[in-house]
Amino acid sequence: MCKECGCGQTNGNTRLQFQVNGYAEENVHEVEKALLGMPGVMYVHIHADEGATTIDYNPAKTKLMEIMNVFASRGLEAAL
Amino acid sequence: MEIQVMQDILGKNDEVAAENQALFAAKKVFALNLLGSPGAGKTTLLEKTMAALKDELRMAVIEGDLFTTKDADRIARYGVPVIQINTSGGCHLDAPMVQSVLPRLDLDALDLVVIENVGNLVCPAEFNIGEDEKAVVLSITEGDDKPLKYPLIFKESAVVVLNKVDILPYTNFNLEAATEDIATIHPGAMVLPVSSTTEEGLFAWYQWLRQAVQKKREGYSE
Ligand SMILES: Nc1nc2c(ncn2[C@@H]2O[C@H](COP(=O)(O)OP(=O)(O)OP(=O)(O)O)[C@@H](O)[C@H]2O)c(=O)[nH]1
Ligand SMILES: [Mg+2]
Repeated sequence: MCKECGCGQTNGNTRLQFQVNGYAEENVHEVEKALLGMPGVMYVHIHADEGATTIDYNPAKTKLMEIMNVFASRGLEAAL
Repeated sequence: MEIQVMQDILGKNDEVAAENQALFAAKKVFALNLLGSPGAGKTTLLEKTMAALKDELRMAVIEGDLFTTKDADRIARYGVPVIQINTSGGCHLDAPMVQSVLPRLDLDALDLVVIENVGNLVCPAEFNIGEDEKAVVLSITEGDDKPLKYPLIFKESAVVVLNKVDILPYTNFNLEAATEDIATIHPGAMVLPVSSTTEEGLFAWYQWLRQAVQKKREGYSE
């Protein structure tokens, strides 16, 4: 929802931090894009070196499994 | 407890939005929710659209505005039916506001209703008003970082009109980067670089509207 004026939905967005192993220079940007393109995903931030990956998303629109699949299908190991 | 109240308001909004949508569907009228920051060029785009299409498509406009009738007055000059909704300071239109004015439109005699929302890149994206589609106008002077900074409105909008390309040479706006960012947060969104003053690129916008109206007439819906 709009935090400034209090209008809109408490839209159920939640922020998760994953620990992801296996980022390489070639795939970081592509992973970020794939995540941002998913319904309800509003923000993605990846620290490629340590693997810390922050995702702001709406579980009603994209399932956690689908996010995990983005990592898994690229050979990345992700843990919450 | 506050959250509960909020959910009630939103539940009510979605209910009324569904009623509005059903009415537009029954009348085969394509309803467009036109969004964008203050000054992005929503009304200017509408003025050009009316001049180009009013003999071809039966249009009406609903103008959302905080207090004034300035935009409605601009629209009225084109001889298109226009209804003003003043939100009295409210930052967005909601479905009940739109529902309350729909009886004043002869929907049987219309193909297209464009609802210009209150200028704001944040709040209006949260409220369905019963539209078939949302379109957002982003102008070159706002900066190319806006899609990633205000993702919801770009995720929600089927079309992103990148307006004021006539002044591209005088700004640091990177058209390619903005287009890529929009494609990133909303794969499949249509991006239309235009100038509503010089009319560059507007043909593609008109074509999109024509096709949307045509589809609605033939009974497809989203
Ligand atoms: N250079 C240039 N100026 C434009 C263009 N489109 C609109 N403008 C100008 O931008 C200013 C704002 O345009 P409006 O159409 O009133 O913007 P709006 O989005 O309806 O604004 P609000 O209703 O207040 O939210 C006006 O001075 C327009 O003449 C364009 O394509 N190029
Ligand atoms: Mg306007």
